Amino acid sequence: MRLPFTANPHERQLIPDGRFTGPMPWVMAIMLFLSLIAAAAALSLAQSARQGSESLSRQATVQILETDADARVAQQREVAAQLRRQAGVKSATIVPESEARALLEPWLGDVAADSGIPVPALVDIEFSTAPDAARLATIERELSRIAPSVRIDGNAQWLKPWFDLIASMLWLALAIVLLLLFATGATVALAVRGALNTHKGTIEIMHMMGGTDLQVARLFQRRVALDSLFGGALGLGLAVIVILLLGERVAALEPGLLAGASVPLYGWLLLLFIPVAVTGLSMAMARWTVLSTLKKML
Amino acid sequence: MQSVAEFDNVGLRYGTGAETLTDVSFKLFPGSFYFLTGASGAGKTSLLKLLYLAHRPSRGAIRMFGEDLVAMPRSRLPGFRRRIGVVFQDFRLVQHLSAFDNIALPLRIAGISERDLVGPVNEMLDWIGLTERSSARPATLSGGEQQRVAIARAVIGRPEMLVADEPTGNVDPDMALRLLKLFAALNRLGTTVVVATHDIHLLQEIEGAQMMRLDKGRLSDPTGSLRHPPRPLVLRN
Repeated sequence: MRLPFTANPHERQLIPDGRFTGPMPWVMAIMLFLSLIAAAAALSLAQSARQGSESLSRQATVQILETDADARVAQQREVAAQLRRQAGVKSATIVPESEARALLEPWLGDVAADSGIPVPALVDIEFSTAPDAARLATIERELSRIAPSVRIDGNAQWLKPWFDLIASMLWLALAIVLLLLFATGATVALAVRGALNTHKGTIEIMHMMGGTDLQVARLFQRRVALDSLFGGALGLGLAVIVILLLGERVAALEPGLLAGASVPLYGWLLLLFIPVAVTGLSMAMARWTVLSTLKKML
Repeated sequence: MQSVAEFDNVGLRYGTGAETLTDVSFKLFPGSFYFLTGASGAGKTSLLKLLYLAHRPSRGAIRMFGEDLVAMPRSRLPGFRRRIGVVFQDFRLVQHLSAFDNIALPLRIAGISERDLVGPVNEMLDWIGLTERSSARPATLSGGEQQRVAIARAVIGRPEMLVADEPTGNVDPDMALRLLKLFAALNRLGTTVVVATHDIHLLQEIEGAQMMRLDKGRLSDPTGSLRHPPRPLVLRN
């Protein structure tokens, strides 16, 4: 099989390239840029969701709402000890009262730190696997024998809406990538049809001289491939700059839901592959457009 | 004798209009020379288009080189077209190619290597007197020069059949005679030649050439050559 780039200079001059002068390479660059940004967003969200589900979902917090301070501290210690003995619990960490008070500061201000307002005693639990609501209820029942006012909040429960949102955004980003690729294919088809119309006379002459549809298609494939590669390289360059700049901003965020939102290594490889795939897609689209159009000619 | 082309009750109409060609039946024999004449609008160009496979007939049967053209799949047409040289009435040169590249086009399409085509193309340029203008684009050539390039392009592949639509319309009498000599030389090498022309003097230049006359889309056969194989031709000058 002959590759489109192997067309010799004499074949190439039949359909003058006119590269970088028409809108096609620039449109391809814009399409690729948008596709890559959407793909990078999807990959980052996927990474974030995976990290979240791997770590945050395995965590839960025990609250002991005992009003007596001494009893609260004693129950906190016993609860932590009891949890450490539970199968499937990796760790149970007592949260110092000062940290618990600090959590109230956004709502109560400085008064939360030194007033006599009782704050719940907290124990952070890390499970081996994310616990479901039934397991948390069982543990809560067992702990209530030690601390009657105990309450367990599983992170997975309150994080679920966030992960659902992230999953929706992930699908949205993938849909945007697919739509942009579809639009790119349609753009190629329109551009090739325009070029076919422009070069109709030359193509008819080639046909009359015994030129085959594949010979004609190869010329257009080559032209589209070069436009796509140029557009892809430009779009990729711009997208990489934007992704790196955004990555710096995300890295500067406090640890939280978006902290893990970065493009993983396999994601970068995928992003590099997209322009190549788009070039292949564009060439296939050009070939299909040329062959289906020429089929209507004798 | 196996015919090069055989038309049997062929009709051609464009769209829903009246038939441009009606009940056309004839045979073209290998190594023969035919003139196709007729008034403007008689259907000469349409008949030639059927001969050089630019159209399929609306009805009737056409056999080319022994094969049924009407039933032939489209994918096989390029192979047959490479056996036919065409001189278009409007030359149809590729405007962004030089004279050299226009003449080399059929060879390149046929996959001839650059090394093998340079010699024949230069020889052809020399023959049509355009060696000095080999790199000129068609727009910078005169009408006569363009016509010579178009003829050179049609004959460079040594086609089995040459179809020419008014090939001497834009050249002076001397060049017309030279071109006719080229056609006759090709004909002697076995190429079947069909020349559509208005030029009545041209018909007298080649003895033994057969005449096909079209009148309002119907073919007449004054020499009877369309039914019987012709005699070998003789160039008068």
